[in-house]
Parts: sequence; C-alpha cells; structure tokens
Amino acid sequence: MSESLTFMMGEFAAEFPCDRLYARNHMWAMPLAEKVFRFGFSAYAVRLLQDVYFIDFDVAVDTNLSSRQEFGSIESKKAESGLYAPISGHVVRVNDQLLEDPSCINIDKYGEGWLMEMQGEPDELLSPTAYLEHLVKAWDVAQRTIKGQANSVESDEE
Amino acid sequence: MVTDNSLHGSTQELLVIVSQGQSRSPEKRALEESIAAMSVTLPNTSCLVVPHLYDLGNDSLTLEKLRSWSGPIVLLSWLFDRAAFWVLDRHGVRGQSGEVQLLNPDLVSDDEDDDESVEDRIDEKADERVANIATRPSRSIYSIDLRSSMVVADYEQEFRRILSLEQIDAPKRDVLSLDRFLNPTNTTALARDGSGTLETLNKSDVTLTQLGIVPLRVDEHPTRRWYPVIDYSRCTNCMECIDFCLFGVYGVDRAETILVEQPDNCRKGCPACSRVCPENAIMFPQHKTPAIAGAPIDAGGFKIDLSKLFGAPDRDEDPVAAAARERNEQLILAGRAAVEMPTGVATSKGAQQADISESTVPAKARDALDSLIDELDALDL
Repeated sequence: MSESLTFMMGEFAAEFPCDRLYARNHMWAMPLAEKVFRFGFSAYAVRLLQDVYFIDFDVAVDTNLSSRQEFGSIESKKAESGLYAPISGHVVRVNDQLLEDPSCINIDKYGEGWLMEMQGEPDELLSPTAYLEHLVKAWDVAQRTIKGQANSVESDEE
Repeated sequence: MVTDNSLHGSTQELLVIVSQGQSRSPEKRALEESIAAMSVTLPNTSCLVVPHLYDLGNDSLTLEKLRSWSGPIVLLSWLFDRAAFWVLDRHGVRGQSGEVQLLNPDLVSDDEDDDESVEDRIDEKADERVANIATRPSRSIYSIDLRSSMVVADYEQEFRRILSLEQIDAPKRDVLSLDRFLNPTNTTALARDGSGTLETLNKSDVTLTQLGIVPLRVDEHPTRRWYPVIDYSRCTNCMECIDFCLFGVYGVDRAETILVEQPDNCRKGCPACSRVCPENAIMFPQHKTPAIAGAPIDAGGFKIDLSKLFGAPDRDEDPVAAAARERNEQLILAGRAAVEMPTGVATSKGAQQADISESTVPAKARDALDSLIDELDALDL
C-alpha cells in the first residue's frame, strides 16, 4: 500500500491513501485518464455509515450531473443518505456490482467498493492534505449533526 | 399428479405474502424467514415468499400466482403499509384494506383524540374518490410494515387476531406432524392441488410445500424499478399528474380513470408528480422522504440522515418549486429542454402541499433512539 494519511474520528483511525484526490463530500477520486475519475466513499464516510446494506443509483451512464446533484441513495446499519455528485461532469460508469452486494464498500472501500466514474473538471477536488484540513472542520459538523438528530429524538420522546 | 402449485385461495384460508426487502441486512432476512416459518404453523394459513413486490413486472410469475388467490391476504413488506397495499392493487391483486393493529411504532400518534378526530372527519370528496367509484372486491388485505416489530411473536399474535376476525381460526389444519403429513385426512390440506384428489396420490409425490406446510417460494429475480403508485382511496381523478409529468408516465383507462400507464418511462429518483398531487395520492414507495413513500404526514425517518454531510445542497423550497426543479433536472438528464416553472403546475392547489417537504426528518421511535445512541457511543463523541 502506498503512503497514506490518518485522521482520528474519536478512537477510530481513518486512513486516506495519498495516491488519489478527494472531494468535500467524502469521496475519493482516482484519476484514470485526462479528466476522468473513479469515485468511492472515503474511510471517513464509511466509518459514519458502518455496514452498508443497500445502495441504488438513479443515474445511468452517459448522462450529465451537476455538482451535488443527487444520483442515488444508500442505506446502512446506522444511517441513510442520498448520493451526491462530487463534481460536475459526465457519468462514464457506475458500479452495478454494488446493487447485488454493497458490502464491498465496507470490505474494500478504496478498491472494489468504488461507486462511479465521471469525466469532468477536477477544480473542486482536494489533495489528501487539503482533504484532511477539511475533515477537521467536517468532523465538528458531523458530531453536531448526529448529536442534533439524537437530541431532537430525545426531546420528542419527552 | 400434483403438478400445479398455483394458488387456489378460498375464503376459508389466509395467505401470508412475505415481500423480501432489497436490503442485505441479515436481521431483515432472518425476520422474513422466521415469520414465514411461523405463519405456516397457524391454522388455515399458507405462506408465499416473494421478491420485493414493487420491482415485479406485469409478466411476473409471482403476480400470476397472487392474482389467482381469492381469499384474505396478509401482506408483509418493508414498505409503508399504505404503499404496499396500493402496489398490490396496481398489480391487479385487489381488496379492501383490513384493519391492522401491529403498526410501525414510529408512526403511531401518541394523541388518541387526534386519531379519533381524523377517523370521524367526514370526507367531503368521498364521491370523487376513485376507489369509491371503481369499487374493489370485498376480501380483506391486511398490509403490515415489517418495520413494525422485529419480534416474531408479535406477528403471530396479529395473524391469530386476523384469523379470528375472518372467522377461520378453527384448527382445521394442525401444526405440522409427521403422522398428519403421511396420512392426510382433512380437506383443507388439499387446497393447493386444486383437484381434491389427494387421496389417490402416491404419497411420495406430495411435498410439504404442496401441503402448505412450508412456505411457497417464487424463484424470480426482478431488476429494480421506479414508478409512482396511486392511492385510489385518495385520488379524485383530477388529472394534475398527467398534466405535470412530461415523460408520459400517466394515462387513462377506458373509464377515463387516471392510471400509471407507462411506469418504466418514469425517471428514476424523481418524485415530482407526488409533490403536485393535491390529494397526496401519489406515492414513491422507495423515496427517502417518508411522506412521499406513503407514510402518514409528519412521520419521521428511522435512521440518521447523513445527506447533509455527504453533499446534499441546502434548500429551502416549497413543494411546487421542488417539483419544478426535479422535473427540470430530469428533462436535462433526458437531453430535453427545461421548462418554465408554471407548466402543468396548478399553483393554488400545489400550495396546499406544504406538508410534503424534506423537513419531515426528526425521528421519534424508541428503536431509532436506541440506534442513535449506539451510534454516538460507537463514535466516541
């Protein structure tokens, strides 16, 4: 394995390989060709999700997405979320293997667990170091979001 | 020979349909299997385990079997019970919605008075509801959301209550016993062969499945689908949806009643028509917003929603604006031109739709609370 960076999520050490770029919405971006990237969830995202049970793509290959446009959904043991385009661009491939067995996302997040490939400008992507700086801020927001949802549950119960 | 294992339901028997979830959750799979195994031990009860109902196409073997059943049905699925009932109706398996007591705890209102007032409220549009015009058969279909309970005994209790309600709880067919299997003497056990000539069979030809002692299964692997499902007990045939949708999903039948004519024209992920329906009659059972997926208004989600963390744009839109944006996104994806907002949108009616928005998030179940706290522990906050 090539060099990687580590970010501590509480006790959990999330690893980020340096052989690729990262998107602010916690996807990694592996350059495949000129302006073509393969995307998958970073260790940070997978840790928040935990065991993935279900994924669905709303987008077919050969279509265009704008940055942050919803293109599918994911459900895990603990959480659910839409899937949002990491950059603006053209969808080249989606990993249909995940429909049958999404556990790849947990087992091999930086390899077989990839989500989709897009052709587009890399302007919005971050270097591993810049992504780690982004995580410091994001981790605060994540904790507040999760606590916020938990608190709203508690107040509803009372 | 017993070669025909299609279903020949009578009103003397209950059919339990277990619609398998798409999720790979081991807990969900185990619950489905346990309920199926339990149900066939009950008197006068057969069980059919089927793939996710919503994904089945018109040529489905499963649906063919289900359409041949005329008796009462218990429908178990990982969908909101109202959505599952109307999915089945859309597939031509119709009846009256039976009252269910095993409810999703996340959706039960604490306020009893509130419930009553809703029930007592007189429906001023009763005459316009499609289901009151095109009436369904009288047999009951009891739709149960599998998220209601993870405890098999809760389902057994509910099934027994339903058997009693249907007055078919007398133990005509007993719990599996070897003796009974080898020497079938009662007549209800013959229901599956349809000819009533079981006595003449070589015993080795009779399988447990044909006797209804183990659940029947359909070996079918449908691909995922996405289309709207109409609740005809709410639909007033106003035609807002057919005007709004620019993808040709909707049509009308010979009686000029709205229907989802070309479901596979629907744009995957797009719930826009459901937002413009003035009666909240259009459901997308797989949509992540509970109100669009067929939950009662104000129902909460069940899991932590990470969408904001994973890049969901911050939006503060009313449902009409959301619908217009979603439709435009789909038009562009389809290589067509976006349209000006008012096209096909009746803004006055649409504006009544304020209840369906993305803001119906806060969860409020014991289960949800437990898992949230697990999550907090796990994250060591």
